Amino acid sequence: MSTPFALEARGLSKSFPGVKALDQVNLALAAGEVHALMGENGAGKSTLIKILTGVHRPDEGSLLLAGEPVSIGSPMEAMEAGIGVVHQERNVIRRFSVGENIVMSRMPRKGLRVDWAAVRSEARRCLAQLDLDLDPETPMDRLSAAQIQLVEIARGLYTETSVLLLDEPTASITSNEADRLFRVVDRLRDQGKAVVFVSHKLEEVFAHCDAVTVLRDGRSVMEAQRLADHTRDEIVDVMVGRSLAALQVPDRVIDLTAAPVLELDGVSTSLGHRGVSLEVRPGEILGLYGLVGAGRTELARAMLGLGRITQGELRVRGKAATIRSVRQALENHRIGYVTENRKEEGVFLEQSVTRNIAVTVWSTLARAFGFVSGKGEQALAGQYVTELDIRIAGQYQNVGQLSGGNQQKVSLAKWLAAKTEILIIDEPTVGIDVRTKRSFYDLIWRLADEGLAILLISSDLAEMVTLADRVAVMDRFTVTGTVDNTHDYDAMSQSIIRLIHTGTAAVAAPGRSKENA
Amino acid sequence: MTAQNRDDAPRTATRRPGAVRRFLATPRFFLIVLIIALVVVIGALKPSFFNGPFVIAPLLTSISIFTVVGLSQLVVMSVGHMNLAIGPMAAFGAMFAGMSFQLFGLPLWAGVVVGLLAGAAVGALSGWIIARTGVNSFIVTLAMSFALIGLVPTVYSWLTTGSAFTVKPDGLDVIGRASFATLCLGNVCGTNAIPIIVVPTIVTMAILGYLFTRTRIGRELLMTGSNVQAAELSGIPTSRRIILVHTLSGVLAALAGFLLAASTGSFTPGIGGEFMLQSFVGPILGGTLLAGGYVSITGTLLGITLTLLIRKGLDLFGVGIETLNILLGVILLIALSADRFRLIRTRRTRAAAAVAPPDDTGGDPHPTGPGADKKEEVSA
Ligand SMILES: Nc1ncnc2c1ncn2[C@@H]1O[C@H](COP(=O)(O)OP(=O)(O)OP(=O)(O)O)[C@@H](O)[C@H]1O
Ligand SMILES: [Mg+2]
Repeated sequence: MSTPFALEARGLSKSFPGVKALDQVNLALAAGEVHALMGENGAGKSTLIKILTGVHRPDEGSLLLAGEPVSIGSPMEAMEAGIGVVHQERNVIRRFSVGENIVMSRMPRKGLRVDWAAVRSEARRCLAQLDLDLDPETPMDRLSAAQIQLVEIARGLYTETSVLLLDEPTASITSNEADRLFRVVDRLRDQGKAVVFVSHKLEEVFAHCDAVTVLRDGRSVMEAQRLADHTRDEIVDVMVGRSLAALQVPDRVIDLTAAPVLELDGVSTSLGHRGVSLEVRPGEILGLYGLVGAGRTELARAMLGLGRITQGELRVRGKAATIRSVRQALENHRIGYVTENRKEEGVFLEQSVTRNIAVTVWSTLARAFGFVSGKGEQALAGQYVTELDIRIAGQYQNVGQLSGGNQQKVSLAKWLAAKTEILIIDEPTVGIDVRTKRSFYDLIWRLADEGLAILLISSDLAEMVTLADRVAVMDRFTVTGTVDNTHDYDAMSQSIIRLIHTGTAAVAAPGRSKENA
Repeated sequence: MTAQNRDDAPRTATRRPGAVRRFLATPRFFLIVLIIALVVVIGALKPSFFNGPFVIAPLLTSISIFTVVGLSQLVVMSVGHMNLAIGPMAAFGAMFAGMSFQLFGLPLWAGVVVGLLAGAAVGALSGWIIARTGVNSFIVTLAMSFALIGLVPTVYSWLTTGSAFTVKPDGLDVIGRASFATLCLGNVCGTNAIPIIVVPTIVTMAILGYLFTRTRIGRELLMTGSNVQAAELSGIPTSRRIILVHTLSGVLAALAGFLLAASTGSFTPGIGGEFMLQSFVGPILGGTLLAGGYVSITGTLLGITLTLLIRKGLDLFGVGIETLNILLGVILLIALSADRFRLIRTRRTRAAAAVAPPDDTGGDPHPTGPGADKKEEVSA
């Protein structure tokens, strides 16, 4: 071997109580190369990255940095060794500003005091790399999930690194924002840095990565191969461990004469929406697409009473409804809401899988004296663990110990278990692997066929085109139009982009948008 | 995962650690060991410790009262709140009970009900203010505590001459001062080492144990304690649950106040003066998390037992009250750091790759052993 690898891991193993997360894993990163790390949910990708950055210590195996053996005992040591990272889970401090969060790992100082001017300029420099026009003084809790993810990436770019590890950095942003990240990644590659890229979005991986390592059940089953030598299907089959049949998009017939179960009529909200009108019929999947900051999540939250409707009307099954809380939405109107922010709002990290799933059904399970049968709730949760293939050591396990994708499944399972009639799903497949995505799509179609009305918010255009029956496009807190889904990706993406631009033009003259439903 | 998949990837999916091993890793087991050791040591050095009616029975009486005090804190801790007004709430509840005996001549049961309702009312008021305004429970209950500390003695001085209600309805002494020796079936009588007052405490523990382990509301309280936002977004009426726990805390404080009054024989404004420290020490030593989401009811009993046993032991050796208080402070400190430690450990357990702050020297960030999953159920 002429030039040593920028970073090499040999025979890494790591066990957690109840599970062997890594088993003799090898990873070799060459300088000037973007290396894809692939694998299903729970395969061990994040664990590997945490070992490379000193968050976890390996049970076995060794690390070589530029050919020299190193031991990385803490995140601080990793930083000093020139290994930068963007972790899968958000690790921002909510009360701090964007700038402080970006430079947190190494605060610029003047003597003993923090150099605030440098904090701002450094933060601005990192944000500029991502073309992000965000004031470093903005408090973190004003940002959306996607913006937070972008700030996390900016943080990874703050210190000079020779190796940059990106654990699902694009999970909750749209392809527009992701493209900015890839421009940065391309530049790093040209500078001879090694980049690791974890993603469940195959398109991105194939468009931007040079080499690939695949993990399956904690083992590296494909090691540092050239990505160009393999097809998508091959990689998927290696990840899954068997050949995966192509996704069948069913022919869906929706009863267009049925009365809508959920309607928004010229709704303006305290969160800033203007004249939003939408309708969802039973059995229909209405997609809500838009760029980051378009106000989709906020719209969902306003419907659920987490914001106020100041004008217009929300109608559920034809009747005007005022919803003040998720409780009311669930009990009075049978509406469920899967949040996009799983770590902070979707799951209870310190509670068991069973309880996390059963939380929405206790009111149905409860009998005399509020008694809830432990067996009953376990059986119910078990059903969804199987259905969504949630990978756990046992139902007693705390959700905080699951891999990111499996936590997402838990957050979803709880609302599927609630058996609602209207389901608002916000970014349901963030961080979910290819195979589970398919079973999830099948499940959503089945539920829709059974009459569930679904409002689907997703930043993944491919997912929109696959799942939705109609797509409503939002821009700057208003709906700019609705298109029937032809399931033709290119045509759809064009008409959607056009609607986004119309929205930008229409800002000058705000008013009720026309629907062509 | 398909079966075929499993075959080609034999991952060591070990089983959940057995119930016994899990128990051995809890603070409860540690407390039991300590308690037994102390009993043996104290008993060996001072055989007078084993005197039933004069040492053991009074000790069990205080354990019973203070366990209720601890439970009163435990219920608010389940949602991650605190109640700094437990002492004054106890005085307030006891005052109403004493008042109904002395001024209205009510029978025992009615007076107790009045006292508990009074406790419920002040607790509900704190809870309502907290839920309504979103102000931290620390501040609200601190204010409540000041208000009651002012109010209770004033009422006593209006209504009584000696600042105490001393009228005892029938049965008060049975609850407060009798032992099982007074209960006889034919010729067989109970022991005089166990006071009757343990009964209300055991019943309270059983009810709370049922609440937290078996019912929807108990589960919802723990979920609220784990993550309020997620609880609200899962359809749990968190405001109502918060009001509920504070109400319950008020009821239990009043019950503790009544039991203390019954054991001393008079209702005075000084009731509850010693409650606050103990109310935290018991639950925290027993494993209940200050941050919410996990409670241990037997742990509270054991924590209280340990502190009172130490106190009794030192008492027998003639150590003064100041030393006792210093010791109590030290125990609280240990208990609180134990709580911190457990919290950090569970936080680290989270798959979250907590980007450690630069000064974090960090030990092994994952817990080994069964303690890691301790939070997923409550002990009754
Ligand atoms: N702190 C922990 N305690 C116990 N088990 C853990 C812990 N962290 C991870 N695991 C387990 O290790 C395995 C690998 O998890 P990891 O997070 O590395 O998966 P991943 O490949 O990143 O998956 P995803 O695509 O869902 O993010 C999983 O089975 C997970 O439950
Ligand atoms: Mg991961």
